[in-house]
Amino acid sequence: MPAFRSRRGHAVAIVLCALTTLVALPLRGWLDQANIVMLFLLTVFFVAVRLGRGPAVLAAFLSVGLFDVFFVPPHYSFTVADAQYLVTFAVMLAVGLITTHLTAQLAERRVAAQARERETRALYELARDLGATLTFHQAAEVLDRHLVSLGMKSKLLIAESLDQAAELTAYGALRLGPADLTLARCAFDGRRIFEDYAIVCLPFAGVTRLRGVLVVAPTERAKSLPAGLLDAAASLAGITVERIHYTEVAQRSEVDIRTEKLRSGILSSISHDLRTPLTSLVGLADTLADPDQTDRNAEHAAIIRDQAHAMHGMVTNLLDMARLQAGGAVLNLQWQPFEDIVDSSTRLLADILAQRRLVVDLPADLPLLRFDAVLLERVLCNLLENAVKYSEPGATISLAAAVRSDRFEVGIANEGAGFPVGRLEEVFEIFVRGAQEPAAPGTGIGLAVCKAIVTAHGGSIVAENEPSIARVRFTLPLGTPPSVEGEPA
Amino acid sequence: MSAPRVVVVEDEPRIRRFVCDALRGEGCQPIEAGTARLGLDAVGERDTQLVVLDLGLPDMDGVAFIRELRSWSHVPMLILSARLAEQDKIEALDAGADDYLTKPFGVGELLARVRVLLRRRIGEPQPVYRFGGVEVDLARHVVQRDGNEVHLTQIEYRLLAVLLADAGKVLTNRHLMREVWGSSQADQEHYVRIYVRRLRQKLERDPSRPAHLLTETGVGYRFQP
Repeated sequence: MPAFRSRRGHAVAIVLCALTTLVALPLRGWLDQANIVMLFLLTVFFVAVRLGRGPAVLAAFLSVGLFDVFFVPPHYSFTVADAQYLVTFAVMLAVGLITTHLTAQLAERRVAAQARERETRALYELARDLGATLTFHQAAEVLDRHLVSLGMKSKLLIAESLDQAAELTAYGALRLGPADLTLARCAFDGRRIFEDYAIVCLPFAGVTRLRGVLVVAPTERAKSLPAGLLDAAASLAGITVERIHYTEVAQRSEVDIRTEKLRSGILSSISHDLRTPLTSLVGLADTLADPDQTDRNAEHAAIIRDQAHAMHGMVTNLLDMARLQAGGAVLNLQWQPFEDIVDSSTRLLADILAQRRLVVDLPADLPLLRFDAVLLERVLCNLLENAVKYSEPGATISLAAAVRSDRFEVGIANEGAGFPVGRLEEVFEIFVRGAQEPAAPGTGIGLAVCKAIVTAHGGSIVAENEPSIARVRFTLPLGTPPSVEGEPA
Repeated sequence: MSAPRVVVVEDEPRIRRFVCDALRGEGCQPIEAGTARLGLDAVGERDTQLVVLDLGLPDMDGVAFIRELRSWSHVPMLILSARLAEQDKIEALDAGADDYLTKPFGVGELLARVRVLLRRRIGEPQPVYRFGGVEVDLARHVVQRDGNEVHLTQIEYRLLAVLLADAGKVLTNRHLMREVWGSSQADQEHYVRIYVRRLRQKLERDPSRPAHLLTETGVGYRFQP
């Protein structure tokens, strides 16, 4: 492109000089030669302003030649009759060249100033956009976008760990080969700019340490890379990467503090809830061991058994919770009828349910559902246990299930005081309990486990109050049950 | 008849002790074995009526124990195992164990299972089963409920017959699949569940709270006379 433009510039210069000659030729008899020189100088000046240094120099020499041939006697010959014309030629050439030089310099300065202004603006916009980034990905994406508009592609290699020998993590659009990565590594380890025919690797640092390497490759359009701009972009990248790093560190420690608070809350709650039944177990066992007190042995043994069962329930919940929260729990999902776990859980809780009136309402044609039977049985057991815990002997407990458009819904309700008003969401938080707690043994983990299990199945769970009834409703996705081939009746 | 000889294979001495005490109270003659090796020897020594086996033994895999014992003995086996070890239970039952108890269990539950297993050993295959108003006459292929004949499909009838033949015993889905359908593909096990549901709807008084065709969560089903 530039070569083509320059060639065209020279052609235009030649045409303009020829035109000047053609215009001046008929005026040869009328105009003074000094004025014709002025016409030629005007042409040179015009070429210098519009077409740059090269065409203007050509025009200067051409003008002297044309003036000599067409306007200095003898006409149509380079020979000069009067030697004083040599002075005219010299001055004409000198004025033409000086004009050319000054004009061209001015033009070049203007172009350079414009380029500097563009770079400054680009850097300003880059700095502004990098300032708004929150992740390394975003930073690399912003860098890439800005550098593409300047004719470059880029890749950000970031040293994410403190270990300076560790692998650099790559972000950004530019594809790098193994050789390019080696070059980038050299730039990082050597802390200086490396470049080859295709890419430039600029190491960058934050305030505290070396942070990574900015790898830049020119696209087809731009052959040369503006070094100053790249340096500035690299140091902006350094500052940005360091800022993002420390923002993440700050966020993480905030989360750690919150987790730590939760953990110590859970621990103190667990230790309280485990120690209380253990204390009574130890005390009751001592009473049993005392040979002088045998009159209430059977009663004490029954309490010991109930306490141990309660502790077992709590430990089961804790283990399920730990398993689900660790995230490694694989659900044993099977297509099965929901009645199966209603059957098994009510049988497991037959003893404590005996003092309540249990009403089970299951339509006969419920579809198969896909769930982990052991875990969902836990949900039903916890909800039924809660229903018993928060109701009086003889109260009605209902368990109803139904298909609601796109999901399966189960509701377990008991007659009783209901959930604490205004805290319907909180009851599913770990170790949050209702108001009348001291009277009811057990931990606040039951509903949290239910929520974790139901959520793991892709369902949802809510608690709600009706006048003198407390209800927990949970849903399970319906899905498409596998088909069952029929058989002749 | 002399007291039934029961071998208790359990490495935890306190559990072994209370299980043996309970068995003695039930009129059994418990033999304690702390390791699998001792347990196998004890069963081989003399005629044994029941084995109570903890699946988590230190010296031998529980399922390997069952396979070895089953290679030369048909003695009933009751397994003690932890919750959430469904796969272990299924493997143990498929290897030949008859029933399981999930820890922690009470003496009542333990003795109920033991009684069923000891009785099963003595019982002959019956031609007629009666439970909850239902009468199943295996010789005549007739099922009646409260005196009225109930129509069962061939598969429903086969499934019922398999469950009745092993009354009291936990049958895994895989086992039922193999016995009734002749194959045991894991992705077809919902067939078992669907047909048990149909049987319940035809035979149980309250199909949502069955009294005889019981669910063993995550494992299979059991017919309780």
